[in-house]
Amino acid sequence: MSSDTLTSQGSDERQPDPILEITDTNVTYTDGESYVLEDASVSIHRDEILGIVGESGSGKSMFASAILDAVPDPGVLSGQLIYNRRDGTTVDILGLSDEQLRAFRWEEIAMVFQGAMHSFNPTMKIKTHFTETLQSHDRSVGEGMSFARELLESLYLEPERVLNAYPHELSGGMQQRALIALSMVLNPEVLIMDEPTAALDLLMQRSILSLLNDLQEEYDLTIVFITHDLPLVAGIADRMAIIYAFEFVEIGPRDAIIANAAHPYTRALLQATPNINSPLEAMQSIEGQGPAPANVPSGCRFHPRCPVATDECESVEPTLDAHDANNHRVACHHVERAREELTISTDEEGAFSATERTTQTTTDAESLLELSDLQVHFEASQGVIEQFIGEPDVVKAVDGVSLSIEAQDLVCLLGESGCGKTTLGKAMIGLQEPTGGSITFRGESLDEHDDARAALQIIHQDPSSALNPNRRIVDILSEPLLHTHPNASITERRRRITSLLERIGMTPADAYIERYPHQLSGGEKQRVVLSRALLMDPDAVLADEAISAVDVSLRIEIMDLLLELQEEFETSYLFISHDLSNARYITEHAGGRIAVMYLGEIVEIGSAQRLLTDPRHPYTEVLRWATPDLGLDTDADDEPPVREIDVPDPIDPPTGCRFHTRCPVARETCVETSPELRDCEDGDGAVACFREEPDHQYWESDPLDGASEHPE
Amino acid sequence: MNYYLRRTIRIPATILGVATLTFGLIRLLPGGPFTQLRIQLRRRGMDAQEINARIEALQNIRPEKSLPEQYLDYLIGVVQLDLGQSISLNKPVIEVIGQALPWTVFIVVVSTLLMFVLGVLLGSLQAYWEGTTFDSVGSGLSILFMSIPYYIYAVAFLVVLAFSWGVFPTSAAADRSIEAGFTVAYAVSVLHHAALPIISFTIGGVGSTALSMRGNSIQVLGREFVEVARLRGLSDQRIATRYVAMNAILPMYTGLLLLVGFRLGGTVVLEEIFTYPGLGFYLIEGVNANDYPLMMGCFMVITIALVLAVYFADMTYGLIDPRISVGDADEY
Repeated sequence: MSSDTLTSQGSDERQPDPILEITDTNVTYTDGESYVLEDASVSIHRDEILGIVGESGSGKSMFASAILDAVPDPGVLSGQLIYNRRDGTTVDILGLSDEQLRAFRWEEIAMVFQGAMHSFNPTMKIKTHFTETLQSHDRSVGEGMSFARELLESLYLEPERVLNAYPHELSGGMQQRALIALSMVLNPEVLIMDEPTAALDLLMQRSILSLLNDLQEEYDLTIVFITHDLPLVAGIADRMAIIYAFEFVEIGPRDAIIANAAHPYTRALLQATPNINSPLEAMQSIEGQGPAPANVPSGCRFHPRCPVATDECESVEPTLDAHDANNHRVACHHVERAREELTISTDEEGAFSATERTTQTTTDAESLLELSDLQVHFEASQGVIEQFIGEPDVVKAVDGVSLSIEAQDLVCLLGESGCGKTTLGKAMIGLQEPTGGSITFRGESLDEHDDARAALQIIHQDPSSALNPNRRIVDILSEPLLHTHPNASITERRRRITSLLERIGMTPADAYIERYPHQLSGGEKQRVVLSRALLMDPDAVLADEAISAVDVSLRIEIMDLLLELQEEFETSYLFISHDLSNARYITEHAGGRIAVMYLGEIVEIGSAQRLLTDPRHPYTEVLRWATPDLGLDTDADDEPPVREIDVPDPIDPPTGCRFHTRCPVARETCVETSPELRDCEDGDGAVACFREEPDHQYWESDPLDGASEHPE
Repeated sequence: MNYYLRRTIRIPATILGVATLTFGLIRLLPGGPFTQLRIQLRRRGMDAQEINARIEALQNIRPEKSLPEQYLDYLIGVVQLDLGQSISLNKPVIEVIGQALPWTVFIVVVSTLLMFVLGVLLGSLQAYWEGTTFDSVGSGLSILFMSIPYYIYAVAFLVVLAFSWGVFPTSAAADRSIEAGFTVAYAVSVLHHAALPIISFTIGGVGSTALSMRGNSIQVLGREFVEVARLRGLSDQRIATRYVAMNAILPMYTGLLLLVGFRLGGTVVLEEIFTYPGLGFYLIEGVNANDYPLMMGCFMVITIALVLAVYFADMTYGLIDPRISVGDADEY
């Protein structure tokens, strides 16, 4: 452990000065029999950002709770946790009395949780959360609140508006930033963040991360950032630690981890992440799942999933040792072999190889679904007084979208939450009544077409709530077969179900079909949902964030399955995502298109390759920025390329081009007139931006406040 | 249409429905008081016109008019708070109700509040000490108390405390020898008379409130914001009140107001047992004496009270729980 603190490989060569020294720390359950954190020994340096990466259920949240001595009952925490104050005094965290611990938490170490919505008392205004925290720690409320306002402002929030709001009145991104401000209101030294951005859009995640970076520098914070998303944290971390099955398996400077990862698990994680810079075929998912605390494998815990495992790994548990000159420590017997045999391709060459299927260009053929000028408007709910007077506010969730989808096509709707992509998707498959425009299905109006209901299916985001918990898998999958093959016998249906289950990798199928949904893992549930939709023999399937609820290491697997089954079942997909790298993966494989949506409109559409290499709309460029990649030179230091972080209120969308309030290159013209979606002249797809027209008056008008004077 | 407007219009509509039902029921009941009365009066040799006048006065209906006209007259009467004349007590129904209603409201409101406060206290203590002996004994007693109907307590208290031991009076709302007014003696007497009805009407409710409070609190205690509040170093007392209790009680609020309404109608047996001159007591009187105007008047008042309670709950829930935007809010 000491080797870790002796030298620092940090970019600025500062003297290592551990603020937290964690030694042999364990968290056990059921009378010390199962460990949910085992022998954790880590030093956290002052003013660094330490990224801790692990799959769900790997014990990483337990590590966060352990630092604050807040392990939930009946967990038992043991070991040594030493906190070094700036003035040289030290604190033994486990030796603190209850009252000392109460004061220590939040004043010295504060924590930010994943779901900001659940971290605020829903019946109290945000402001009360701040004042009560200050009062509990005997701080001056006046001074504290002005500091809080300063924090909120530096997080791109309007302090008065946020403070006087109830938690539910804020968007997810605003809540999360308010929570970060709340955690910093007592000016702590250490901030522990447990998946602080997992529930948010990519753009918001990236924006928050870059703000965090600023805050860290401004207020001399030490940040422990816990996540399952390796590329995300790689952008800001100084050092990274990988946790697998309740143990740290690798820890070291970020550059060493990214460029020269030693543990097979780390290498697999790097390989498993959809990355916009790596070639498609390089991305592979990791086989199997992490173990449960009750049955941890003997020897090296990763050996059942490890491609370079030997007999030694099965019996002897490796220790976390330094393998390189710097403080890069790894728990693996075969570091050299792992580095040699498990290659990670991060070079951008060949990123767009010829894996594409022939892009459909048969536009003259009758399209499967044809949307023209589609509108879906909702009446928004209002306050007590407003309800008695005046017209209701209207949210234009989808406002004038025209799109056509061919047979066996794939269109990916990409955008932030609240941009109307789910509403558009639902309208396309007839689950949402449009308020204007028309949808035709095979040349006929959608609501007049008899077969449309069965031919258009949906896969929801959360597979757990999409499956009836009281029915077995065989019953769930028999339902669609009864529709499509009403005359099939029970044995015939069972045969078809088992062969499909085998096809999607759920073997032995005979065992699986008798199970109930809660007996399946998240990935397996999502496969059942997918099978259920496909057994209807649909012409189109709406996959609404279908992989967001699945663990990162499984996402590629599910997308591959979607693609394979597309050919087999001859269906089209409407794939909804907020993640450009996932969208790119699936569209490029299927030879489809990505449609970028913003506030109810499609602002750009085109092939994945064109959108990545040559984005035309400024919003597409922003989304491109928000997508983390694993390049060593990337840093989240750069400011978000938007002038406003939050999406404007959809009730009163901006005039002209709707993106002009956030657009980095907006000009006066954009405020007044709205660009139309025009076909790109020298590329595929279409884009709605004045910058596409060389002699538009846009080029003569003045840039807006904060917008760039000389773009490009 | 606007939710508040819709909700407000629904009140007169409900009351109109109830009034129509009472009007129709009177006419449908065979051998109702008027048939009986008509026979009696005719035997005394009264002429038909006089009989009609009497019945009209009794029920504010003119029998010789057509049905729609009668219906209209009746409704106008209801709007003018003229619910007819009680046959057995020979007083206007509205006057009888005016005297009885305050007593019933007193009993119901006091016992419901008591039930709520005690139940919430007991339930939250049980939740804090979940799994302890206190919790299991508390839950057991709660289930026992709530499964015994209130009139059993009433009879038992009456027999033991009032008749055998003579600690409490056996009937009436106050001592008749003390003049009604805002005097200490009168207030003591009122409380003394109301004690047994209130206690018997409260015990069972405490059990059920405690059980639901316990469940809600345990759920809230497991929520993340309670954990965050603890990490923020808030005092246990503040967490218990503003975080746990507040969020646990909110879902019970609508139930509380509904309960007040329902319990107004539930006092019938209670007041009969204690001979307590409330609404329920007169309702039974009316039933026993075939006094239909009185019965109908009591029904009307109970219904209106219930409708108003529900209305009040619906209207105020949005103010109390900031998350509820009243009406049919939807996400997009």
